[in-house]
Amino acid sequence: MRKFLVLIALLALTTPADAHKVIASAWTDGADIEGEVGLSNGDVALEGTAVEVFDLDDNLLGETKIGKEGLFRFTPTKAIPHKFRANLGAGHVATLIMQVDELPDHLKGETAPVQTPSQSTDQSVAVSGDMQKLVAKAVRKEIQPLRKEIASYKEKNDLQTIMGGIGYILGLTGIAFYMAARCKEKKGE
Amino acid sequence: MHIVDGALSNDVVIAGGILAVGGIALGLKKMDMEKIPAAGIMAATFFVASLIHVPIGPSSVHLIMNGLAGLILGWTAFPALFVGLLLQALFFGYGGVTVLGVNTVAIALPAVLMHYICRTGIRHSNKKVAMFWGALAGGGSIAVTAVLVTIALAITGESFIPAAKLVILAHTPVMAIEGFLCACAVSLIHRVKPELFDSFIPVTAVRHA
Repeated sequence: MRKFLVLIALLALTTPADAHKVIASAWTDGADIEGEVGLSNGDVALEGTAVEVFDLDDNLLGETKIGKEGLFRFTPTKAIPHKFRANLGAGHVATLIMQVDELPDHLKGETAPVQTPSQSTDQSVAVSGDMQKLVAKAVRKEIQPLRKEIASYKEKNDLQTIMGGIGYILGLTGIAFYMAARCKEKKGE
Repeated sequence: MHIVDGALSNDVVIAGGILAVGGIALGLKKMDMEKIPAAGIMAATFFVASLIHVPIGPSSVHLIMNGLAGLILGWTAFPALFVGLLLQALFFGYGGVTVLGVNTVAIALPAVLMHYICRTGIRHSNKKVAMFWGALAGGGSIAVTAVLVTIALAITGESFIPAAKLVILAHTPVMAIEGFLCACAVSLIHRVKPELFDSFIPVTAVRHA
């Protein structure tokens, strides 16, 4: 009995949560792409981990490193989809694809209305450009916890999922029984 | 312990797939009526065990419970653990569908290995000796799994020794806990249903024991 109490105590110490899933996200920051890589339990990637950047045909476009708090920064030069790949070791690989319309504005094509150089003599345009950056930064900072919460919410395993899995196993066991019974019947004939 | 999609080279993925199919076929062939419910229960145990996390340092590792599956099922551990892994990949996103073969081999092969190493030990009439072998199976299978995962990663290009050290070190607490759980399971089976281990081995082997 004491053994089982110890066992229960051990199990109680552990928390049902999940790690082992790699999550990555990226967004634009001025002319750069900024991204974040980490594990779904809230750990961020180690500083100095290499992030390779490919196009969709796996041609290497460039490389960058993860800095503080699992963030990385990359300056795109072409208006093509970018694929980011970071190897966190021990079988954890994060991949992330950024489509053309998610890229920084100046790459989206010449039709982009912001910051047309012909008006650059006007000082107010430059100011509003700075303002835009500031606002973008502030908004990003504000939604950071929300993004994390959504990411962790997506990773949540609820009781239904677990029950569903066990249900599948039960069903498969039933099928196995059916097959075994049919085999037996055939042998009996 | 699950390797994710895209971490391995194609060669490793294909080789793992072929080995897994072989193991599953062999396991299904050896699965008779008496083993089906045990296989189902072990698959469910494995499926849920991965949700129990052991926090160590900054990271955490989860239980695997492949040792116990191996002790009870033998080769049938292959199909049982495959089903568990498939459902984990689909429902929880652990691992992935393309690396399913590699993961199956990495987790089920040590289970089978421990089955053959420990199967006489766990039927020893002295309960303490049997529990020792049970603990060995529980802890040993985790260690072998860690080594197999590292080998799979090493073939793909990650340096073997530091990675292996990291993986095995991280799983030491899991090895301890699963060794303990397995020993408890063996002790319980000894007391309640000693014929469980006997019924799953060929008749001739029972006579020898």
